[in-house]
Amino acid sequence: MFIGLDLGSRSVKLALLEDDLLVRLDKFDTMRFYREHGKREDGRLVIDAGGLALSGEKPTITATGYGRQAVNVKGARIIPEIKAHVLGAAYLTGLSDFTLLDLGGQDSKVALVRQGRMIDFLTNDKCAASTGRYLENMAAALNISLEELSRHRRDPAELTSTCAVFGESELIGFVVDGYSTASLAAGVNYSIFKRIKPMLVKLSSEIIVFTGGVAHNGALVKIIREELGMQVIVPEHPQYAGAVGCCVDAAASRSSKK
Amino acid sequence: MPKVGITTTVPVEIIYAAGWVPVDLNNVFITDKNPQALVEEAELAGYPRNLCAWIKGIYSTVLNNTDIRTIIAVTQGDCSNTHALMETLQLAGLEVVPFAYPYDRDPDMLRLQMEKMMSRFGVSWDQVNEQKERLDFVRSKVWEIDRLTWQENLVGGWDNHIYQVSCSDFNGEPEKFADEASVFLQKARSQPPRQGELRLGYIGVPPIVGELYGYLEERGARVVYNETQRQFTMPFATLDIVEQYQLYTYPYGIFFRLEEIRREADRRRLDGIIHYAQSFCFRQIEDLIIRQKLDLPVLTLEGDKPTRLDARTRLRLDVFLDMLR
Repeated sequence: MFIGLDLGSRSVKLALLEDDLLVRLDKFDTMRFYREHGKREDGRLVIDAGGLALSGEKPTITATGYGRQAVNVKGARIIPEIKAHVLGAAYLTGLSDFTLLDLGGQDSKVALVRQGRMIDFLTNDKCAASTGRYLENMAAALNISLEELSRHRRDPAELTSTCAVFGESELIGFVVDGYSTASLAAGVNYSIFKRIKPMLVKLSSEIIVFTGGVAHNGALVKIIREELGMQVIVPEHPQYAGAVGCCVDAAASRSSKK
Repeated sequence: MPKVGITTTVPVEIIYAAGWVPVDLNNVFITDKNPQALVEEAELAGYPRNLCAWIKGIYSTVLNNTDIRTIIAVTQGDCSNTHALMETLQLAGLEVVPFAYPYDRDPDMLRLQMEKMMSRFGVSWDQVNEQKERLDFVRSKVWEIDRLTWQENLVGGWDNHIYQVSCSDFNGEPEKFADEASVFLQKARSQPPRQGELRLGYIGVPPIVGELYGYLEERGARVVYNETQRQFTMPFATLDIVEQYQLYTYPYGIFFRLEEIRREADRRRLDGIIHYAQSFCFRQIEDLIIRQKLDLPVLTLEGDKPTRLDARTRLRLDVFLDMLR
C-alpha cells in the first residue's frame, strides 16, 4: 500500500495505491490540514500522515509539493514536485511522450517528457497570474462561480495586466465600460493562455497532458487546442497527479529493490 | 594610496601601475553585513524597484565609502544601467572615468581605450606590462585552484567562485591574496578527492545568492566551472596585455562567450549547466540563444535580491538534479 501526499499551496492531496489500483483520493484545505494533522517539532511542522490512512498494512508514504522542504512528513520519502507530476500524468494517461502542463493553486509548470523521462521543464517563479488562485480572484471579482468562468472563450475582452491582483481592478473598469460577463470571463481564460503559451511552445509535443486544478477549466482546454493545434488530454482527477505520482515512484522504487 | 572604484573587471594593471588601489564595488556590496539594506537605501533615493539589485547596491556602497572619489565606469561591454548609475554618482560629486570594451573586439579600439585610461592615471606601457607580470603570478595560484576543482576534484564550487571572482581587484593587495591562495591550495591538496557527484557548469554573472553552491553540494552535485568568475582570472596564455583583454570573453558578444563555454563544458565533462540571470538584466534575453546553442541540459535561474535561496529556486534545482540523474 502506497500513500502519496502532494503538499500544495492551496490544498493537500492524498492518493492511496494498492496493487497498482487507486483506491482512495482525498483533498484537504492546506491551512486546515496543517492545523489539524501537524504539530511543531524543533521549528518544523511535522505531519503524522499515518493517521490519515486506512487501517491495515503499514503504508509507505511519499510526499511532494511546495511545502515539502518546510514541512517534515513523519516517516515519508520526499520527491521533487515536477517528477511527481510527470509520473502521475504518465500513470493516469498511460502515455510516455507528451508535454505536461500543470496549473495548480499558485504554480504553473510545463515539462517535456520523452520515453517516460522528463528532459526539460519550465515554471513560473515571480507571479501566480496563470494559476488557480488567479482564477478564483477573477471569478470573485466578476461575482460568478469558477464553473461559470470555465464556460467562456468567445469574444474575449483584452486584459492587459501582468499581475494577478491588479487584474481585478482592470476587470472592474471593463464592467463600467459595459463589457458582458461572458466576454470578460473569456478574457480571463485567454489571459491564462497567453501567459502559458511561451512555455508550451518552447517545450512542445503533439500531446499535452493537462493536470492541476485549472485543468477543470473547459474553456482553457479548448483555447489551447484551437490556438496551438495540439491534442489536449485532461486525465480523470487532474488535481491528483502529484499525489498519484508519489505512489507510482514509491512502487517503482520498491520493485527495483526486489 | 588612493582608491578607485570599479563596477566590473577592467585592465587593473593600469590602476596598480599608477599606485592606486582598485576596489571592486560588487564585492564590497555583497559582503556587507546587510546588503539588502543597501538596495533599499538606493530605492529610497529614487532608484526604481524593477531594476537590477547589483546596480542599486553599488550606488549605496559608493556613497557609504567616502574614501572612494573616483570610479571607472564600463560604458560598453557590461551593464547598460551603468550609464545612469554613473550619472547619479557624478551628481553626488564623484569623478567618473569611462572605459568601453569594443563590441567587435577590435584590438585597435581596445588599445585606444586602454591608452586613454593610462593617460588619466599617468602611466606608461612599460609600467603596465610590469604589473601584468606581477598579477599573472598571483593569477597563476587561482588558475591552479580552478584546475584542482575540475581536474582533481579537490575544491568545492564556492571556493572556486570566491577565489576567481576576487581576481577583479585582488582584494586590493595582490601579494596578500596570493599568500592566502597558497595556503588554500596546500589545504585543498591534502583532502581526499570527491567522487560520484554530478558535475555542473555555472554561466552568467556571479550569483547574488551565495548559498547556491552549498545547496548543490548537499544534494550531490558540484559546480566545477564558473564561467564569468574564471574569466576574471584572465586564464589566457598571452604576453600581450591588449590581447589578454581581447580574449577576455565576458564584455563581448554572446557567440564568442559560447565558444569558450562549449570548450570548457567538454573539457570539464559537465552533466548540465545552470544559467544565472539577474532580474531586470538585459542578459536575460541571451538565455534564448544559450538554450539553442548548447547541447547540454540548461536550467535558467533568476536571482533578484541578496537574500536566502528561495523555496522556488530550491525546487527548480532539485528537479534539475533529479532530471540529470
